[in-house]
Amino acid sequence: MATVRRERGLYFEDFEVGRRFDHHWGRTLTAQDGIAFSTVTMNFNPLYFDAEYARRLGHEDVVINPLLVYAVVLGLSVEDLSEAGGPFLGLDDLCFPAEAHPGDTIRARSVVLDRRTSKSRPGWGVVEWRTTGYDQRGRVVCEYRRRNLSRLRHHEESR
Amino acid sequence: MPYTSPDNYFEHFTAGDRYEHVRGRTVSNVDNLWLTLTTLNTAQGHFNLDYIHRASGGLFTERLVMGGATLAIVIGLTAEDMSENALADLGLTGVRLPAPVYRGDTLYAHSEVVELSDAGDRPDAGVMTYRFTGRKGDGTVVVEGTRRVLLKRFSHWAERDGHVAEPEETA
Repeated sequence: MATVRRERGLYFEDFEVGRRFDHHWGRTLTAQDGIAFSTVTMNFNPLYFDAEYARRLGHEDVVINPLLVYAVVLGLSVEDLSEAGGPFLGLDDLCFPAEAHPGDTIRARSVVLDRRTSKSRPGWGVVEWRTTGYDQRGRVVCEYRRRNLSRLRHHEESR
Repeated sequence: MPYTSPDNYFEHFTAGDRYEHVRGRTVSNVDNLWLTLTTLNTAQGHFNLDYIHRASGGLFTERLVMGGATLAIVIGLTAEDMSENALADLGLTGVRLPAPVYRGDTLYAHSEVVELSDAGDRPDAGVMTYRFTGRKGDGTVVVEGTRRVLLKRFSHWAERDGHVAEPEETA
C-alpha cells in the first residue's frame, strides 16, 4: 500500500539553456474540433468551418484553424514548461509552415533558448523557449518563441 | 450567392487604415474551461478556483482566462473585417497580454493596417499585416500583437466567389 502524490511542473533551475523536451501526448484534431473552435471564437473565415468552400480553394476538407493548432501545441507543452510557473510574458515569431487537416495528430517539442533571474521579482526568473508542433508525418505545423515567469525551486518568496 | 463579403479583399485595404470592430464578446467560464481543456492545457490557474486563491495569496479571486483563449477571441472579433477572405493565416508576432481577463469581462477589438505586400508566387493574393488590440469595456488593453494573413485579390477571385465584377470606369 502506498500514497502517491505526483507533483507536476518544472522550475527555473530545470531550464538549462539548450535543454530539449519531447512533450507528453499527441492530440488528434477532428473537423469538429476545428469548426467548434472557429465558430465559438467567431473566426469568420469559411475556410475553417465550411468544407465545400475549403474544397473550392483546393483543400480536401476544412483547414484546421491555425489558432487552434497553436493552442494545442501550447497546451501539450504546459506540464513541462509552465504548469508550476507564473504569468505568460510574450509570444513571438509564431508561424504555420504547413496546414493541419482533420485527422492529423499533433505533437510538440521545445528547447530552452534563454533564462535569467528577475531583478524586480525575487524568487522568479524569466525563461524563453522555442516550441515546435508537428504532425504524424513530421511536418512542422506551428512554431513560436514564448517567454514566461518561472518559479525558483525552494524559494519562499515565490511560494 | 456570394461566399464571402465583397469589401474585404486585398485591394480594399490601405496601410494606416484603422478598423473599429463593431461586435464585442463577453467571456464566460465555459469559454475559458473549454478552450483550456480541449487543448490539454494543464495550468491550474485556468480551471481550479481553490488553487488560484492559494497560489496568489488571495490576490486573484477568479480563474484567469487562458491567454490563448483571449488571443483567439480577440482575433475572432477582428476576423470578419480583416481575414474573411484569407487563403491562409501566415503568422503572429509581438503578442503581449498586459492585463488579466476574468469571466464576465467583455472584450472589444480594433486594428490598424501596417503593411501590404505581394505574395511572391501567388499573383492572385497579397499579404496584409495588421496590428490588433483587444480591450475591456473600460479601455484596459488585454492583448495586442501583429497578424499576417494571405488575402485573395478581388481582381482574381471576385467572380469565382460569386460577386459581380466591379464595372469598368468610363472616361
